[in-house]
Amino acid sequence: MSALDRLPSGRGDTALLAGIACLLVGGLFALTPLRAELPSALYVFVEVGITFVIYGMLVLGLDLQYGHTGLVNFGHVVFFAVGAYATAMLAAQDTFSGIGLGYPWPLALLVGVIAAALLGVAVSATSIRLRDDFLAIVTLATAEIFHSIFVNFEGIFGGNVGILGVPRPLAAIVGDADTRMLATLLVLGGFTLITLAAVTRLTDAPYGRVLRAIRADELVTRSVGKSTITYKTQAFVYGAALAGLAGGLFALYNGAVAPGFFTIQVTVTVWIGMLLGGAANHRAVLAGLAIIMGLRLVSRFGLSVTPVSGDVFAAFRLLVVGLILVAVIRFRPAGIWGDPQELGVDQ
Amino acid sequence: MGLLQEAIFGVVTGSYIAIAAIGFTLIYGIVNMINFAYGEYLTLGAFVGFFAASAVPGPLPVAVVAAMIGGGVVSIALARGFFTPINHTGPVPMLLTSIGLGIAIRNAIRLFGGRSARYIETETATFRFDAVPDVPIGSVDLLGGFFVTSEHLTVFGSAVAVFLAVHLLLTRTDVGIAMRAMGDDESLARVRGIDTQLIRDSVWVLAGVLAGLAGVLMAIQTNVSSTTGYSHILQILSAAILGGAGSPYGAIVGAYVIGLALAISTAFLPSSMTGLSSAVAFAILIAVLLVKPSGIAGTEVREA
Amino acid sequence: MVGPSFNSWCVRGCIGMPSNTNERVNRRAFLTVAGSGGIVGLSGCVSFGGGEESGGDDGSGDGSSGDGSSDDDGSGDDSTDDGSSDGGGGPDTIALGQPASLSGQWDFLQPGVSQATDAAVAHINEAGGPLDAELEVIRRDTAVDPQEARTVTTQLIENDGVPAILGLYSSEINPLWDFLQDFEVPIVTPWPGSTFLDTRGGDKATPEDLSDDEWVWRTVVGDTVHTSGSAVYALENDLDTLGVLNGTTEGERSYVEGFLSVYEDNGGTVAERVEVEIGNSSYQSALSRLFDADFDAFLVSLPQESAITALNDWSDAGYGRQPILSDPLAQQAVIDQVGSDIHGAWAGSPGQSGPSYDTFEEAYSGRDGDAEINAWTPPAWDATIVTALAIQRAGEATPEAIQRNLGPVSRDGGTEVHTFAEGKEALENGEEISYQGSATPVNFTQHGNVFGSVTISTAGENGFEATSEVPAEDIREYVAEGEY
Repeated sequence: MSALDRLPSGRGDTALLAGIACLLVGGLFALTPLRAELPSALYVFVEVGITFVIYGMLVLGLDLQYGHTGLVNFGHVVFFAVGAYATAMLAAQDTFSGIGLGYPWPLALLVGVIAAALLGVAVSATSIRLRDDFLAIVTLATAEIFHSIFVNFEGIFGGNVGILGVPRPLAAIVGDADTRMLATLLVLGGFTLITLAAVTRLTDAPYGRVLRAIRADELVTRSVGKSTITYKTQAFVYGAALAGLAGGLFALYNGAVAPGFFTIQVTVTVWIGMLLGGAANHRAVLAGLAIIMGLRLVSRFGLSVTPVSGDVFAAFRLLVVGLILVAVIRFRPAGIWGDPQELGVDQ
Repeated sequence: MGLLQEAIFGVVTGSYIAIAAIGFTLIYGIVNMINFAYGEYLTLGAFVGFFAASAVPGPLPVAVVAAMIGGGVVSIALARGFFTPINHTGPVPMLLTSIGLGIAIRNAIRLFGGRSARYIETETATFRFDAVPDVPIGSVDLLGGFFVTSEHLTVFGSAVAVFLAVHLLLTRTDVGIAMRAMGDDESLARVRGIDTQLIRDSVWVLAGVLAGLAGVLMAIQTNVSSTTGYSHILQILSAAILGGAGSPYGAIVGAYVIGLALAISTAFLPSSMTGLSSAVAFAILIAVLLVKPSGIAGTEVREA
Repeated sequence: MVGPSFNSWCVRGCIGMPSNTNERVNRRAFLTVAGSGGIVGLSGCVSFGGGEESGGDDGSGDGSSGDGSSDDDGSGDDSTDDGSSDGGGGPDTIALGQPASLSGQWDFLQPGVSQATDAAVAHINEAGGPLDAELEVIRRDTAVDPQEARTVTTQLIENDGVPAILGLYSSEINPLWDFLQDFEVPIVTPWPGSTFLDTRGGDKATPEDLSDDEWVWRTVVGDTVHTSGSAVYALENDLDTLGVLNGTTEGERSYVEGFLSVYEDNGGTVAERVEVEIGNSSYQSALSRLFDADFDAFLVSLPQESAITALNDWSDAGYGRQPILSDPLAQQAVIDQVGSDIHGAWAGSPGQSGPSYDTFEEAYSGRDGDAEINAWTPPAWDATIVTALAIQRAGEATPEAIQRNLGPVSRDGGTEVHTFAEGKEALENGEEISYQGSATPVNFTQHGNVFGSVTISTAGENGFEATSEVPAEDIREYVAEGEY
């Protein structure tokens, strides 16, 4: 079975080209005296945009697990966190607390991805056979355990302060703030687009059909001779590794990691984004994530036009986010751009 | 202080969790969903109890009863509004709905209830038993002097009363027997003429009543704020699954295992690790799911 | 595809490659080519889009024009740029930004700080405002989540155009340190106690030279100082062995570590230390472990709600011994809930020993709202006033100007002023001033820290009352010069 022969030359390739283009333009900004200027009104959009492309890698991995294979991973943030911490601890040079080994950052990033993937292997080896909602609980509990380990072992993980002094490769070569932000967005966005291309190739290939078959009916899939456990484990580990990559890139962009960046909020955000856009459709999940993150951002600007105090507004904003999740599942269970039939949900 | 004292602390903590975990596991067994918003039911119960205690300067049991009624009403109303309409969609959409609902309720409570913690005033008496002899084994003392407070006794007593009531309900009443039948096989129960929707509604009410009770007990021990229940949801959930999701008896055992694990890990872990006690509870959960995925007393949850 | 969230994403760029003059239009993102200016010419292009020339872009930034923060020019520029550039009238309003914990775990601390900030703003505006402009504060929620804090700080600085920030916690500042430095906007915050900031921040005693500056200033005494005060007091009272119960949260740990470093270096011994998670329903197991050890006093450093649960458990169990509380716990609610067993417990608080505490208290209690004064409330007042004075002395409200003047208006030497009105008058008369704050005298050290005496307040029938004071000079002995 040669997957390569049957590769469609469609959407995946467009994303790949766009991703490479982004990397090149970003690299151009980083390595040449080329300078960009951002109107300050757009700063916050670029700032949230950078977070979006990082979370984009999370949602693509999660969609591979849930949308395509049906694995309910409700502790996705743990792989993000492990990737980030591993990268940060290996690369950090002068951390205030915890361990910083000062190795070159490319090595650290690689180790970050591997660490997250290994954790993915461990979780799936032990739990992949559990029923959907129990897998959700095990992954959630794993995330909580790691969160409290990061907080508790101050000497190793820096406690609540986290690991500081992580090198920022882009910041080191780009001096002025505007260009740096734009270059960061382009480079990280490039990574996300290449990820999009990769997962599109993977799922458009026959391999992806097996995954969706598992999601639709595992028993039937097994009865035609596919080792569903192997496929499920692979999908889970791919998703974990992607989250590790996102975490490593985040550490190298932010220059520090701390438990506050890796709360259950991250998991909730990517889940809402995925469901809102429509699981099993790579572009849709990215669009869904963009909508939910955009809503949060735009609602921040709403403060000045609403006649209520800041704390009332803060609670109200979160209340609406919760209700959006409820409404999407009830009224558009396949998401905005999802395919109800493929997901096997009633409309 | 000896192991006996630690065991008492563990049993008290377990009792709070057990009351809530029974409700949680009943919803799981009959409605087939993990209800992540269940912590908010506790919070709402705690608020009802608080307002009842401050509005009617009567004895505390009045507030407790009010909280239980409040919890039941809230539970059935939320079920009718949010969960019953999507009953057919399966466990995952319902889990996700409950997560969204939980976020919404938590912030609605904050919106209307304010941010600061409130306290339910109580008097606590302490009973000491210092004459118990030490039975040392190595550095660990098996017995030793101990104390209990009236709060401890109230919580433990409430828990025992709940266990008896739930046991009688499930074994001696038509509704309870129907619940068990439905938990075993829903379609078979329907064939036998059981009104499944009625049973589901009864379960929602019962779970809400238990949540209200657990919530108000926690509020008396700690405080009433928008996160009173949410901060315990993971322990409740672990207890329910540990015991075998769907089984009220298992949930009771699971709750006491978690309670004792929390107490003993705080007492005996190296002092640099005492902050890890809830991680210990989850580690036990994962270990149990791996060794005996059906939990202590439940049905198979592995698919392949 | 960068993502649909950037529909209004647009980049105006100046590209100064000698041979590269092609125009690149990519969706709605476009780069304008500024000809072959060469590298030297670039610096001219890299400006924060001025009002006139960016007119065409304003539509995309309309999110900011509705904020009410800036004047009507709506371009999202620093509203205060106008003041500095046309030199004449000065701005009508100056807005400062306040990231705040309106939701999340620490939200119960915010009302006092908000009320103090609002009281300070009213106090400043009554005196005519800095540069005769009206001072405003834009408050936005971070929930003490560093990711949110990133967005909020960006929004405040870039969209609302504030020249200074009056907030941020340790757990936001520490992991965002590099990010915040990149903005080059002064952050004058009443919150962080972290020892991380002991040697970071401030103008390094060279106000005019910005190149060595780190842009964080705190008007609250760092944990190192006031925990030293408490530790010194404990040792003076022959409390030579200690049990410690603390939460695993940043502030609580930092407090204990500060306390213990002085305590153990000066002859104190820690018999047992138990760390606990916050928000538990019971702390009995932790207490029983703690009280198995032998010690004179025990130190409790937990957030208020968990501390009340723990101290209730302690009271029920009848363990006795001398409690020492971390300063945020010196609150009426603790006595109300725990009862008479807590009488005699003391806390060393840095927050109320400044020379102008009475001025603050009068203005504070005159406001609507009944938020209780906590350890961060007077520092919030100081942060607002010292920033306004820096604007007044600078003659303009730009980040650089404020950064240059925070040191000079606060440090010793010059007329001592206790209110904004006094300071403004003295500055207008050409005098140098030294602001005397409400929490501390606010003499910023080279690292942007403040120093003060520590008030020991003891719980009793009438609440926490000041019973003793550890003078600043005594504490100075334990905190090395240059390291704070």
